[in-house]
Amino acid sequence: MANIVMKNMVKQYDKAETIRNVSLEIENGEFVVFVGPSGCGKSTLLRMIAGLESISGGELYIDDQLMNHRAPSERGVAMVFQSYALYPHLNVAENMGFGLKMNGVDKQEIARRVTIAAKTLQMESLLDRKPKDMSGGQRQRVAIGRAIVRNPKVFLFDEPLSNLDAELRVEMRLQIAKLHHELGNTMVYVTHDQVEAMTLADKIVVLRSGQIEQIGSPLTLYHAPANLFVAGFIGSPKMNFLEGRFRSYQQGKATIELADGQLITLPARDNGLAAGSPVTIGIRPEHIALTGDSSHFRIRFQSEVVERLGNATYLFGNSLGTNGFKIHIAGDRSVKLYEDLDLVIHTADCHLFDPQGIAFGIREVPAGDAL
Amino acid sequence: MTQSLQPLRLRLQQFLMYGFLLLSALLSLFPFLWMVISSTNTTADINQGKFTIGSALLENIHKFVTLVDLPLVFWNTAKIALLTTALTLLVASLAGYGFEVFRSRLRERVYQLLLLTMMIPFAALMIPLFTMMAKAGLLNTHWAVILPAISSVYIIFYFRQCTKAFPRELLDAARVDGVSEWKIFLFVYFPVMRSTYAAAFIITFMANWNNFLWPLIVLQSTEMKTINLVLSSLASAYFPDFGVVMVGTILATLPTVIVFFAMQKQFVQGMLGSVK
Repeated sequence: MANIVMKNMVKQYDKAETIRNVSLEIENGEFVVFVGPSGCGKSTLLRMIAGLESISGGELYIDDQLMNHRAPSERGVAMVFQSYALYPHLNVAENMGFGLKMNGVDKQEIARRVTIAAKTLQMESLLDRKPKDMSGGQRQRVAIGRAIVRNPKVFLFDEPLSNLDAELRVEMRLQIAKLHHELGNTMVYVTHDQVEAMTLADKIVVLRSGQIEQIGSPLTLYHAPANLFVAGFIGSPKMNFLEGRFRSYQQGKATIELADGQLITLPARDNGLAAGSPVTIGIRPEHIALTGDSSHFRIRFQSEVVERLGNATYLFGNSLGTNGFKIHIAGDRSVKLYEDLDLVIHTADCHLFDPQGIAFGIREVPAGDAL
Repeated sequence: MTQSLQPLRLRLQQFLMYGFLLLSALLSLFPFLWMVISSTNTTADINQGKFTIGSALLENIHKFVTLVDLPLVFWNTAKIALLTTALTLLVASLAGYGFEVFRSRLRERVYQLLLLTMMIPFAALMIPLFTMMAKAGLLNTHWAVILPAISSVYIIFYFRQCTKAFPRELLDAARVDGVSEWKIFLFVYFPVMRSTYAAAFIITFMANWNNFLWPLIVLQSTEMKTINLVLSSLASAYFPDFGVVMVGTILATLPTVIVFFAMQKQFVQGMLGSVK
């Protein structure tokens, strides 16, 4: 086990800066997930930890030792790749023991470690197989096994489940979670799949354009996103955004005028906004209902697409001039196309963002989950 | 109407395609056929244009093995071809791998310069090369044939192109595993790229087995000569015995044919891209 500390890390390719002043602390045994859209730099950051990319600026410490100029093998890390990266000419046992063999580890010791890893991953019967004779899930288990036999301080996963089908992905996700529970090692995991991020992580790091947008527990990011980007990125379907105007601030509450002229009051911090400033109100599709009491406000909605999944129904349509407005309702509720509905929203479920996209609404995170 | 014309057009296309392929095959095979038939005839019959199997094969073989020290000539040729091929593969694969895998500021410039040297005709290099070999005291040794052929730009180019398909994650995985760069080349790159090596082996071996002009210039004594030089001297005698020359030609062709057919599968794989 080891902690990881990044101080103002920078990655520069010619003139392009792909990682910008990233500072982050990962505790011993923590499971940290880097998420973000394609090209945000999450894989680059992981490769910088692994030593596969040089560090252009800043400092990287693993287990309190400066690692900037250390070779990958000296960092005490093991990495699992998206494409599995198994040696095609070697069988499973040879693949797992390859690194140890090349470093002159005793044959018996290699066999012992391979057996333990195979047992952990329940693949003792596959040890003689070549990668080409295995399924995607089995290959990825071999790749994880190869990482386990090295007894690393830190496990690095670079989108390990992206090449698997949906069912296998769920199965492997559970295996990785179980593995973390059993081994207790520090794990850093890169994914663009927010379900993986939400289910596996102790701590999620949301990245955009090489910068950290927010660090927090899965529920912190869900309930209290720091800005519009995180609010839109975390949650599926995406959060809805309505345009509004800031009117006044009184006793911890901001009064906002919606596009239909309706005034609503939301708990917020006083950030000195001028009256009339444009603000954005965020509402998650699952926080919208079709009935409610006086603590709610109502907006008009016209459905344009209805998706019935059985356990849930998704409505897509138009509300207060916003196209693609999404609603998540119970699966047994049927709605006709182009039906006009009155949506009921609890003010406590609304997120509030200033003209720069920074959250200033006061949000509550379920107890015990805030970082 | 259009529908009924469609199969007819398709059949005509197929007929033309097969006709063209058959003609090409005949044109390619004709010299071999002529070589085999001529090896069974006397020079007089060959000169008269006889194109049927004759009865002089054993006599031609006897004459050839009497005239030529076959084991020595084959040893010379095989030694040059195999050594050159092995060294070329080693140097060119290292260079192609290096050019593709390791980044440096001048990498592309050096590579372009290297490719540019392919434009220089061998005729322009012969005299400087000859002078170099003479100064190095290597004339009339097999090293004079082997050394200039080792750094083949074409094979370097071929290896670099094939390395583009080599999965980079394998390198990354090995590096994280603490495998040294040399060991990665030997124990990861080499086995994964074996089809590329097989194709490069065939191309290089054939080119070196059939090499004629440069050995002709640098190898002077009889005991150093390769099969092609011996055949050339037989064919350019005052009264050349073509039946005997054809027997020698068949023997000279045989190793390349065997190598090609033995490694045909890997050759095709290598040419298509060795990493699947």
